[in-house]
Amino acid sequence: MIAVLGLVIGVVVGLFVQPEVPDAVVPYLPIAVVAALDAVFGGVRAMLDGIFNDKVFIVSFLSNVVVAALIVFLGDQLGVGSQLSTGVVVVLGIRIFSNAAAIRRHVFRA
Amino acid sequence: MSLLTNVMDHGLDEGYAEAAAARGGDRDSRIPGTARGLLTLGAGLALVGVVVTIGAVNARKAEPTLAKERDALIHRINDSNASADRLQQQVQDLRRRVDSTQQQALASGDADPAALAGAVGLAEVTGPGIKLILEDAAGTGAGGNVDPRAGQGFSNSGRLRDRDLQLVVNGLWESGAEAISINGQRLTALSAIRAAGEAVLVDNRPLVPPYNVQALGDGPKLVGAFESHMAGQYLRLLQEKYGIKSTISAQKKLTLPAAVGVTLRTAQPATPEVSPTASPTAGQPASPSATAPSATASAGAGESPSASPSPSARPSAQSTGKRPPSGSAKTTTAHTPTATTSGSSSAGTGAARP
Repeated sequence: MIAVLGLVIGVVVGLFVQPEVPDAVVPYLPIAVVAALDAVFGGVRAMLDGIFNDKVFIVSFLSNVVVAALIVFLGDQLGVGSQLSTGVVVVLGIRIFSNAAAIRRHVFRA
Repeated sequence: MSLLTNVMDHGLDEGYAEAAAARGGDRDSRIPGTARGLLTLGAGLALVGVVVTIGAVNARKAEPTLAKERDALIHRINDSNASADRLQQQVQDLRRRVDSTQQQALASGDADPAALAGAVGLAEVTGPGIKLILEDAAGTGAGGNVDPRAGQGFSNSGRLRDRDLQLVVNGLWESGAEAISINGQRLTALSAIRAAGEAVLVDNRPLVPPYNVQALGDGPKLVGAFESHMAGQYLRLLQEKYGIKSTISAQKKLTLPAAVGVTLRTAQPATPEVSPTASPTAGQPASPSATAPSATASAGAGESPSASPSPSARPSAQSTGKRPPSGSAKTTTAHTPTATTSGSSSAGTGAARP
């Protein structure tokens, strides 16, 4: 209940406030989105596994976003930004996939 | 591989398992029970929602900007293409006008035969001009008593070569010279500057240094144009590097002799209603075409069609006339004298500049 409420509030805030994203941060936004999705899928899977922990969820979400953005930032400074963001997207994408598969097994028992 | 397996196996954050183990293994904690836990979860999910929404909004905002930039670029390309087309059209129009004006002038009899003869080198001409003396470097044994036919090529780099002279002559034409002679040899459309042995030949007559190049034109202006031309800089380089001396001076009055032996054997003067494509390249300022050898001209000044270093177009005269005795392949015709009314021919840059 509160989970759905939180999501809805977040979307509404994002839509209505429409914060002006600074140009310096724009390149890291897609990475942050992927990291956030990874945290959400991990949380849902943990919930279905029965081992969900709110603190772990929050911390993993924040650290995912920050670390992913940092890696891409470092890559940009070294001139390999696009390669490193590809790497981050691949790793997070694999995790999202495996978590989604686990969720699917829980929900459909298949 | 182990890296990939690691990524695949640890899809779930290990923190969850650790926290569960620390709690004592009660595995029914699906959602947090306490109010604080619920609030944290809600706040976290709200944060996720904000991040994802901002990402989506940003991606949508960036789209029209990119499209706008692309449209602007396409617009600029189209504009440039259109203006290039316009300029091309202008070039063609002007070229056509030049051609028709030329034909008119020829047809109306303005073309005085004497003036034409002077322009193409068949008559003596006089007027202001410049004198350019080129001397081989000291100590090259080229005093004037050297047998020009002896020796094996230009063994000594201190000597002026045929291609140096070609460059100088071409530079003079491009600087606006109207008539040129070298050591009293008038250059015509059929002239060749070439080498045989160690000698430089102009129209198959060996030259003896020092080389005295005379050109008619607006003296001081011609001097300035030539000095700033590539050929003038080349001469300075020759002087610095090889000690080949060159002195250029403007003259109030020079008289250039007529060329001898300019006979067209097989070429026929083209009829005035020649097609406007007679000057197909922009680099060839239309010369008095009634007398200039056209594409089929064949000349007594025998020459082998070698790769010509001449930077601009020249009347392509295939030699069917008598061959000179020498077998040297270094051959180049000089420029067509362009006795246009403008005085400055500026060959190679196109006559029809918009």
